[in-house]
Amino acid sequence: MGATLFFLIGLKALVLLLRFEKNKKKKKKWKKEEQIQEHQQEEVEEAVNQLAGIPIIPNDQKSKSGVIFILERASLEVAKVGKTYQILNSDDHANFLRKHNKNPGDYRPDIAHQALLAILDSPLNKAGRLRALYVKTEKGVLFEVKPHVRMPRTFKRFCGVMLQLLQKLSISATSKREKLLRVIKNPVTQHLPVNSRKIGLSYSSEKLVQLQDYVAAASNDVNLVFVVGAMAHGKIDKEYTDDFISVSGYPLSAACCIARICNTLELKWRIQ
Amino acid sequence: MAKTKTESNKKKKNKRSSSKKLLSGPNVMTMKTKSTSNDSNNPFETIWSRRKFDIIGKKRKGEQQRTGLARSRGIEKRKGTLLKEYEQSGKSSVFVDKRIGEQNESLGEFDKAILRSQRQRQNKKSKYNLSDGEDEYDEIDGVGGGFFERDDYEDDDADADGTEYEQALLKRVNDRNMHDPLETGLGEGRHKSKKEVMEELILKSKYFKAQKSKDKEENEELKEQLDKDFTSLLQSEALLSLTQPSKMNALNALVNKGDLKENLIKKAEMNLPPLNESSKQDKPDSYDKNVKQMSLEKRARPSDRTKTPEEIAQEERERLEQLEEERQKRMHGNDDSSDEDGDPEDVNKVSAKKLRSISGDDLGDSFSFDEKSEIRKGWVDEILQRDADNIDDEEDGSSEDSESDGEASNDEEGLEDNDEPGKTISLKDWEQSDDERLNTDLEDEEEDRGEEEDDDDEDERGIKGKDMQEAKEILSKKFKNRKADPLSAVKPKAIGKEAQGRDDALPFVIEVPNCLSELCSLLEGRSDSEVLEAINRIRVYHAISLAAENRKKMQVFYGVLLQYFAVVANKKPLNFKLLNLLVKPLMEMSMDTPYFAAICARQRIHHTRARFCEDIKNPEKSSWPSMKTLFLLRLWSMIFPCSDFRHVVMTPAVLLMCEYLMRCPITCGRDIAIGSFLCSMVLSVARQSQKFCPEVVIFLRTLLMSTLEAEPRSLQHSQFYYLSELKVLKPWLRLLGHVSDIQSLDFLTVMSMDEDSSFFSSDNFRAGMLMSLIETLRGFVSVYEGYNSFPEIFLPISTLLGEVLRQDNIPGALQDNIRDVSELIEKKAGEHHMLRRPLQMRKQKPVPIKLLNPKFEENFVKGRDYDPDRERSEKKKLQKQINREAKAAARELRKDNQFLFEVKERDRRLIEEERTEKYGKARAFLQEQEHAFKSGQLGKGKKRRR
Repeated sequence: MGATLFFLIGLKALVLLLRFEKNKKKKKKWKKEEQIQEHQQEEVEEAVNQLAGIPIIPNDQKSKSGVIFILERASLEVAKVGKTYQILNSDDHANFLRKHNKNPGDYRPDIAHQALLAILDSPLNKAGRLRALYVKTEKGVLFEVKPHVRMPRTFKRFCGVMLQLLQKLSISATSKREKLLRVIKNPVTQHLPVNSRKIGLSYSSEKLVQLQDYVAAASNDVNLVFVVGAMAHGKIDKEYTDDFISVSGYPLSAACCIARICNTLELKWRIQ
Repeated sequence: MAKTKTESNKKKKNKRSSSKKLLSGPNVMTMKTKSTSNDSNNPFETIWSRRKFDIIGKKRKGEQQRTGLARSRGIEKRKGTLLKEYEQSGKSSVFVDKRIGEQNESLGEFDKAILRSQRQRQNKKSKYNLSDGEDEYDEIDGVGGGFFERDDYEDDDADADGTEYEQALLKRVNDRNMHDPLETGLGEGRHKSKKEVMEELILKSKYFKAQKSKDKEENEELKEQLDKDFTSLLQSEALLSLTQPSKMNALNALVNKGDLKENLIKKAEMNLPPLNESSKQDKPDSYDKNVKQMSLEKRARPSDRTKTPEEIAQEERERLEQLEEERQKRMHGNDDSSDEDGDPEDVNKVSAKKLRSISGDDLGDSFSFDEKSEIRKGWVDEILQRDADNIDDEEDGSSEDSESDGEASNDEEGLEDNDEPGKTISLKDWEQSDDERLNTDLEDEEEDRGEEEDDDDEDERGIKGKDMQEAKEILSKKFKNRKADPLSAVKPKAIGKEAQGRDDALPFVIEVPNCLSELCSLLEGRSDSEVLEAINRIRVYHAISLAAENRKKMQVFYGVLLQYFAVVANKKPLNFKLLNLLVKPLMEMSMDTPYFAAICARQRIHHTRARFCEDIKNPEKSSWPSMKTLFLLRLWSMIFPCSDFRHVVMTPAVLLMCEYLMRCPITCGRDIAIGSFLCSMVLSVARQSQKFCPEVVIFLRTLLMSTLEAEPRSLQHSQFYYLSELKVLKPWLRLLGHVSDIQSLDFLTVMSMDEDSSFFSSDNFRAGMLMSLIETLRGFVSVYEGYNSFPEIFLPISTLLGEVLRQDNIPGALQDNIRDVSELIEKKAGEHHMLRRPLQMRKQKPVPIKLLNPKFEENFVKGRDYDPDRERSEKKKLQKQINREAKAAARELRKDNQFLFEVKERDRRLIEEERTEKYGKARAFLQEQEHAFKSGQLGKGKKRRR
């Protein structure tokens, strides 16, 4: 017994070692390739810059400030319906929720879906100005969404992704081994950059601002963090927000509010 | 016995289920008592784990862990196993308790005692006695009372192992009152006694008999049921509607008979079955008969299928043939009677053979079948009348007759010619002939046309004169042939008849004319509709889908027809209606033979272009295209698709038109008309293809310039200045006087005028020309509006239009038109200017960040491996299992060690204690001694001394 055990352990250690070596090699390879690519790009840009007399479209890649979005109170809740686990929504699980003394109106994962799509499909994101995107569920689970995720367009598939994320705690890309969605530790403030200005948005806020002016007033080296609620009723908590504003006289949907913000920022940063 | 087993199992299960909440693992039984005693109420033995997320709908299970309980259980188990081993590890001998029933904990003391006493007695007996059956136990029975009463337990093998025997006994003890002799007998698989075997045999045979009789009964019943069903079916209406009444009777009879027969059979069966069978075989069953009849009955048939195009063509051809035949017959009656009197036999034969049925021949003289012919009175009358006409014609003059004969012979020759060279004639022939004509065209088209026709006629005459005799002979021969076998000689007959029947009505079957002259002679003097009808008949009769050689014929005919079209187009009093009519068959035919049509067109364009190149060298001659060329170009633009990017015919045609516009100098007003017509034709072509023809735009512009005063200075800055050399700019279209109303010009009437007629210099013509020019220009503007270079193309024209507007004598309507067009141009140009963007260096769309799709599974289940590689996932699973097992083993080993260590420690401590105790005792004793010594109790004086 003991002998076999030792043998097994030894084998395992060997395998692990080998694997580690391999990974190292791969990483080195990737790094090399990336470096080469970067090198080439730089060369091309330099060559272009050297050409005199021809106007070049301004291309200030370096001094780009970004924006961060946080979706608060997204109602993404997993439940065991029948024998399977599902993301609860008010349409399909109304009876189930009533049986468990919950209000079906509160279970609206579609809001989160729309909001995510509004952010990720905006030209702002396409231009690479979205720094990060965090979602915090009603239950307090915080997860990070990489800006280069292509969210599923259909609600059903979105629910599939969320279900898997909340159970497996991470979702990787189809082609790469990169994690696109990842459950991270609370609180969200520890993931935000240092010089960030956290702006909470709520219809209930007394401070009604014209968004263009508000954004223009913010200095360029400050990272803007917009905290938007993705719930059906209620408002976000303003504990960690620096500012608490409302952008419209009307109560807006999360997606619409986000579209407004994105639009303003696009105008500001001249993204077309 | 099985029952007993299941029962015991059940008991076990019950116990287990009661203790299952707490217990798991293999040693359920051993733990049972303890668990019940502990009763799971000790809160210190449980550990509660808190859930972070409360998942709705998930049952709470396994939230509390009884680690303490599990640990104590483990220790107990080790005490039973490991401790024992440890204790015995230093010993050389083992004490084994082999008392009966001692190992089994479920037995009480009393049961154990019973077992033991039983065993004791049995051993005594069986050792010395040979056993013989049941009486053995009767003697023994003392303790158990009726214990073994009904038992046929016979297994008294001496070698029965102690434990085995014990078990058997145990079972009996456990359920004394539940014994089934049969079951036990079977279950044990013992030898059976003879009696039993016999009984079994008897039982078996009885059973089989019963089965057999039962089967038979069932069969009988089934049969009866079937019969009943059949009769009910017969009486139902469904079958009635399906079968014919005559069959119905037979079926009914069958049923009745069946009943009878059944009775009969029953009887026969009682008496002598073999005879009955033979009788059955002898006469065929009526049922069988019916079945056979039914199979022979008519089945449903498919309806006629839809016809293919070939078949339709074939039918059409047959119809024409038939019509022709009838016509021939009707006409022929006359001929036969007049020409072929010399051969009465043949006539009789024919009349006997085929005319009898139609009875067309004799009608003229005998009206004996009046009743029959009344129905056909109409055409009989017609024929009669026609006959009379024919006679009249003949009386009028033999010239026509002879001509027709000549024609026939000509045809004949043509046919022969055609046969010999085969394929070569088709294309070359007509091209050459056309060439000749083209050459002659150069001098004077109209006159030449007339002459040519005359020539043709003369030729024909000549042939006529020469071959008259021959032709007649041939004809007569043909007729004979026809009579000999009328079916095979349809074609020659047709040819022969074509000539003859030409005067009165169009023949139904017309042979394909091989050259233009044939066609001309065929169509000469016909009305337009008749010409069309003739062409149609030729086409239908020789439809390509009918025979392979028809394609050849139709190709020849197409060439001839095209030639004919050209000839008609060039005639001086233009028969425009006929031209229009000819277009349709030409288009359809070129659909049939697209390749040949394209070749024809190309050749023609080639020749026209070659001639044009020669013409242009001669500055005196007008090089503008003739009417024929114009019409042909128009025809092709209708036949071939204009929108193709590159087309074998249309591309050269358009190029040719543009070349005309570009290179031909304008020398008179007529040229302007032709030019503008060409422009509108190019417009119609370009409307579909949206191809840009700069020549047209330039031509239009030059014409517009010619409306201005001849002031080349003002135009010097224009980029078209060089054109003034090419096209001598005269104010061709300058309006000198005031024009009250503008008439739209008819191209045909304009063309029919003389070159130097005063109309061309009249203001009316000029205004009309301008009007059409503006319209064409508007068309081009709308066609080219999508071009990026639109402003560059048309803006100069618009400024030119402005200058034209400033002229004095422009009438109001024309002014409006011009203004409209120039405004249109400016509007469109403005739109284009709007859309234009400044040039950009490195113009490219911003590159979006690269998006990645998340990988997820539909119906994700936690814990399932979604690795697509089966082997790998399997391996992973195994690996996991190994790890788990290894860990578990390590854990167990560790715990074992701990346990052993504890035990050793305890032993050691015990020894230690003992030792210290002993030590203490000894020490105490010594101390006492010492004390005593020192105190002087042992020695004397010492204490005193101190």
